[in-house]
Amino acid sequence: MMKMSGRTRPDGLPGELDPDIWRVCGPDENPANLPLACLVSDQQAIPPGHQLYLTRDPDTHAPGALLRLPPELTHLAPGDIIGTSSDGRRVSVLWKSTATHNSLLLTEQCDNYCLMCSQPPKDRDDSWLFDRARQIVSLLPPSATSLGLTGGEPTLHADALISLLEHCRDTAPRVQLHLLSNGRRFADVGFARRYAQIDNADIMVGIPLYAPEPGLHDYIVQARGAFDETVHGILNLAALSQRVEIRIVIQRHTVPVLQDLAVFIASNLPFVDQVALMGLEMTGLARPNSAEVWIDPADYQPELTSAVRTLASAHITTRIYNHQLCVLNEQLWPYAVRSISDWKNDYLDLCQACSVREICGGIFTTSGSRLSRDLHAITTHSQQAAAPDSTLAAASVMPGRPVALAAEHTSAVG
Amino acid sequence: MTARLSRESTTVAPGRWQLLPMRFHRFDGDCILLTNLVGEHVFLPEKEFLAVVDGSCADQHVLAELRAKHLIQLPGERLPAELLAIKLRTRLRRLPDSTGLHMFVVTLRCEHTCRYCQVSRQSSAKSEYDMSQDAAQRSLELVFRSPSPHLKLEFQGGEPLLNFPLVKWIVAEAKRMNQAYGKRLAFVIATNLALLDDEVLEFCGREDVYLSTSLDGPADLHNGNRRRPGQDSWEQTVAGIRRIQDSLGPDRVSALMTTTEASLDRAHDIIDAYADLGLRRVFLRPISPYGFAIRRRGGGGYDVERWLEFYQAGLDYIIDLNRRGVPMVETYAAIIAKKMFTNDDPGYVDLTSPAGIGLGALVYNYDGDVYASDEGRMLAEMKDHTFRLGNVHTSSYEDIMLGEQLLQPLEQSLTLSAPMCSTCAFEPYCGADPVFHHATMNDFVGQKAMSAFCQRNMGVFTALFRRVRNDSFAKELFWNWAQQ
Repeated sequence: MMKMSGRTRPDGLPGELDPDIWRVCGPDENPANLPLACLVSDQQAIPPGHQLYLTRDPDTHAPGALLRLPPELTHLAPGDIIGTSSDGRRVSVLWKSTATHNSLLLTEQCDNYCLMCSQPPKDRDDSWLFDRARQIVSLLPPSATSLGLTGGEPTLHADALISLLEHCRDTAPRVQLHLLSNGRRFADVGFARRYAQIDNADIMVGIPLYAPEPGLHDYIVQARGAFDETVHGILNLAALSQRVEIRIVIQRHTVPVLQDLAVFIASNLPFVDQVALMGLEMTGLARPNSAEVWIDPADYQPELTSAVRTLASAHITTRIYNHQLCVLNEQLWPYAVRSISDWKNDYLDLCQACSVREICGGIFTTSGSRLSRDLHAITTHSQQAAAPDSTLAAASVMPGRPVALAAEHTSAVG
Repeated sequence: MTARLSRESTTVAPGRWQLLPMRFHRFDGDCILLTNLVGEHVFLPEKEFLAVVDGSCADQHVLAELRAKHLIQLPGERLPAELLAIKLRTRLRRLPDSTGLHMFVVTLRCEHTCRYCQVSRQSSAKSEYDMSQDAAQRSLELVFRSPSPHLKLEFQGGEPLLNFPLVKWIVAEAKRMNQAYGKRLAFVIATNLALLDDEVLEFCGREDVYLSTSLDGPADLHNGNRRRPGQDSWEQTVAGIRRIQDSLGPDRVSALMTTTEASLDRAHDIIDAYADLGLRRVFLRPISPYGFAIRRRGGGGYDVERWLEFYQAGLDYIIDLNRRGVPMVETYAAIIAKKMFTNDDPGYVDLTSPAGIGLGALVYNYDGDVYASDEGRMLAEMKDHTFRLGNVHTSSYEDIMLGEQLLQPLEQSLTLSAPMCSTCAFEPYCGADPVFHHATMNDFVGQKAMSAFCQRNMGVFTALFRRVRNDSFAKELFWNWAQQ
């Protein structure tokens, strides 16, 4: 698993490092007006004029402030965006340009308190996160194609969110945006209209829905009235021609209603752009609540199969995230997306012999010890025959938590 | 971590729910079928149903299911009524886009003498039974007045290929006129295929014209019903179907069957005959009570019960074919499944409310008379002109669509207000058929307790729901048919 932060050795710092967010560039790139950190090595002529240099080599010297990277950060490459501590002793990776999924955490505050939340809400002022997101968006490399915006609940900070989305539209118009929200704020027509009026070229809101009726949904999200607001929010977004994805996290409470929820969506919300069925990530609140929420994916394959067939036959784009192919009913492989964020993705020893490893999502390194008893190497399968549609994977959006918080979650699975 | 909201606190407290508009039907002993305004449905044991109604139900699974299906709500909730309204609007959204189907009876002449035929004339030399180009021109002017963005022109007879020059002229003229309207046009020739030749095939391929034919089943059954000189109707039809499939593609021809007394024990043979030809849809239709067919010698001498047995035998055989991996659709079940599982009204003219007469279809007869439906035209052949809406030479579009001849049967027969329909649990799946009830009871509404239309459709709905309830494979199959 890739490490997303590490200790650095500063060399020749004039004082405190300012700014604290940089885009990594190669020696050929001009600093222009951007805060670029130039990645240099012994083998190259080192261009002068940069405010900050990075190197993996112990003996390199630079014509300015230099940070020596630890071995675990040698994956840094031009296009990545990093945050630096003011003393230059820590670097964290905020954007990994080779990753399929990059997400920015916008707030840790939330008005839901989902039993299995992977990012437990914290009620404290974190408005700096929006500021940082804005800086990162300004620095996005030309290669950036998609960006996830998550929380917490980003819509709690309506003005900051609208302003950030306008900034995305103006500075990174070609970047596909995926906003994760519980959708409740969109029940306010005025807010929904402000959101729609930004008119981003390519944006979708991912909104979780856990049950076909309020009783269970409100319990899972621990907020009375949430179902009503969330569905109203989805209806408002649809009325404003905004793209919506419904996200269903599969856990012990949702498995028995999965089929009814599929029917509910097909009957009441058939206009949604896609439905994502998500494997449970055993982190955050899911850990203390594991007795209540954990269910082995091997135990819900009939329900999942039935729900997927119901949705897909109703012409609703349906995708399965965060599942290992060896546990998934083979009928469902075409819907599976290799989705687990690169930095959270790992394989077990038994995966070494697996013939479909390359197209599998792998396992959450954050999932602790809760792994399906059904995990096994698939040795008999022709990869070509049943590979999940790679174009699906390429077009997928980014689930999971933001790269920006990687530093806090680097412990590998045993 | 302990939950801040307990599971109990988000469940429904005893007696705290309100009933949303619902209708029910006793179903197989103590099972009650509950349906809402838009056809969503739940099966409940009678005991639970009564407990839901009197407020004593304590089964949270039942209450949750009823909330999910918008059959009950809690006081103060807005969402269920809003979603019901959206779904109902969605179901009715095509109403303003009226009249998508326009049938041109280009000739009454036919070289077949089918036992059950209501309308054809054997005297196939007599051009007095052909539609004139002038009548066709005036008909087209009416066609393009229809608000529907999709217009399907169906050529009927008699045997329309006996007046093929007019068919060609109408297709060309409709396309020319459409340059000013921009509608989506579709053309179908309803033909027995005996006269199919290279010219017709080439024309249908070039002009994107579909063909619909009659196939009653295996050769002996088909030829017994559909008589023509040489007794080779089946051979002609089958050869024609194969030619079309080979030269134009498998989806360019479809077939309809008519059930006669001789069909009743032969559901499997009929379906096999379709499967053998690679046809993937069978429409197990009852015989219509009009024209020659209403008389016993026409093959219509059977009652609804007998037909329902036949229908169910056929339906079960089709379900089994699918279970074995052979795709086959029963069209009538698919139409009803769409109403059971989606918010789409398939707009089938014989099973929709308001009725499909005029709003769904108009018939332009060879002599310029305009009828509200094909059955209305057949009644006219029996000297009952109730559903004659006007004549293309003398009537304006407004005369035809806004006259009492059409509005009276439409208004009187709405299922949401008709006696016994408005309270029927199957109302969301059913339709109004003022022509049938006029023909059989001399009343647009009819007495439903004695209506064969009602008896037949109730029988079909019950048969479908029984399979939905008892057979998960059939349920998924019907769901899939509904989505097509």
